[in-house]
Amino acid sequence: MIQIRGLSKEFLGRDGEGTGVLAIDSLNFEVRDNEFLTIIGPSGCGKTTLLRIIAGLIPFDDGEVRIDDKPVTGPGSDRAVVFQNFALMPWANVLTNIAFGLEIRGTPKAEYEDTARRLVRLVGLEGFERRLPKELSGGMQQRVGLARALAVNPRILLMDEPFGALDEQTRRLLQEQLLRIWEKERKTVIFITHSMEEAVFLGDRVMLMTPRPGRVKEIIDVPLKRPRGQETEKSTTFTEIKEYLWENLRSMQVLDQREA
Amino acid sequence: MAKVAIEAGKVGALRVHATRRRPLRGALLEVVALGGGVILWEVLGWVLAMPWLPPFSKIVAALIQFIQSGVILVNVASSLEGLAIGFGISLIVGLFVGALMGRYRRVEKALDIYVNALLISPAMIFAPIFFAIFGLSGAVRIAVIIMYSVFVIIMNTATAIRTVDPALVEMASSFGANERQIFLRILLPASLPLIFAGIRLGMGRAVKGMINGEMLIAMVGLGALAQRYGSQFEASKVFAIALVVLIIGVVMNWLVEILDHRFTSWAD
Repeated sequence: MIQIRGLSKEFLGRDGEGTGVLAIDSLNFEVRDNEFLTIIGPSGCGKTTLLRIIAGLIPFDDGEVRIDDKPVTGPGSDRAVVFQNFALMPWANVLTNIAFGLEIRGTPKAEYEDTARRLVRLVGLEGFERRLPKELSGGMQQRVGLARALAVNPRILLMDEPFGALDEQTRRLLQEQLLRIWEKERKTVIFITHSMEEAVFLGDRVMLMTPRPGRVKEIIDVPLKRPRGQETEKSTTFTEIKEYLWENLRSMQVLDQREA
Repeated sequence: MAKVAIEAGKVGALRVHATRRRPLRGALLEVVALGGGVILWEVLGWVLAMPWLPPFSKIVAALIQFIQSGVILVNVASSLEGLAIGFGISLIVGLFVGALMGRYRRVEKALDIYVNALLISPAMIFAPIFFAIFGLSGAVRIAVIIMYSVFVIIMNTATAIRTVDPALVEMASSFGANERQIFLRILLPASLPLIFAGIRLGMGRAVKGMINGEMLIAMVGLGALAQRYGSQFEASKVFAIALVVLIIGVVMNWLVEILDHRFTSWAD
């Protein structure tokens, strides 16, 4: 279980002091084991900052972040991140990119190569093992990013708008593929998005955040049955939750524009 | 800084040229251009009959004579020895200091002004100082070669490391990479294309420094030979030596290019 208590983060001004920007203001929430939590909010709500804090990549000012009661002090082998812009090494082929996390953690070569090959199959990239990232489409690149995260067998998958840079069709296919993998491997997932459809389609719960500073507005249960697929989006529950999210996001945006 | 960017741009153009050259038509054009230049030189040499412009055939004759007497071999060996030592030191120091400057802001802040100033200032200004330190030894000419080549390597390496996509560093950190792993697995490979641009510029400058140092201070190698015949107004011999220096420059550049291609073809 991931527990966030009174979490606050302020970004300092350019000179390293003075009036900074409060990115996140006393957040409280929990993520249950094996839960798929999606987080949505207008831009500037600090959702990416929140994810990077949970990943242990940046420090925070106040509150606590605990995973199974242990405070987070840095990156750990229990977590892996899937990045928005893929963050693949352009000089390394698909297999080397997927094996990167294992290699860093000192896994023997024979073992990480086996694992990498298994993941190539899992994400459907057979035949592309020796290709460089620039030779792959965006969707294939993010499948490499996903495989790299899964390779280290984390209990928690942290996904930062992973499909945000992809076109609609590719995005849909990857969402379905991600769910299939998640049904099989059962991990705790925190998934940042700014697509309402994506938030509802993927999540067990959707966490709605407010902008500047980021606060939890509401956490909404998504009682759609799994496995989810094309039928899911035709259900009234799906549409209702999506509409509810839109009402909320719309009022935040309107408010935001009036302030600006 | 701006200067490096401009020179790096030039190298970028060279790189494009090198890949475009491969088709046969490009190679043919090059041969025609070279041959045309030689013929024009030969004709002008005979027509003008100026003492400072001997026909190309006389230069080739002088070169053959140099080769037969063994003079050129001894001096080429001497020059290349200086180049190897001087450029070798430049490479090691340049990569090391450049990497530190690129990775650590404090090191960069402390050294940036020195590196910039020394990159722009003419290296030969320091010749008398090298004299005072090293006396009349081979070390002077090595010091000149280093002075010519090290700063552009430092500059390019620092810029290369500093401009590595921070997302890649963050990715490595997220998997728990330590500083050494981040350097070896991310920063170094990501910077290689720009580092090689610096190495190539440094090599060109090192060859210049080699000849300048030999001509004006050390009086050894090809530079000394050129100086001697120059003062005797033996134009065909001076041109013959210039030709040898040119060939050395082209070959060195070609060697760096081969290594560059070997390690950074992913960036093409």
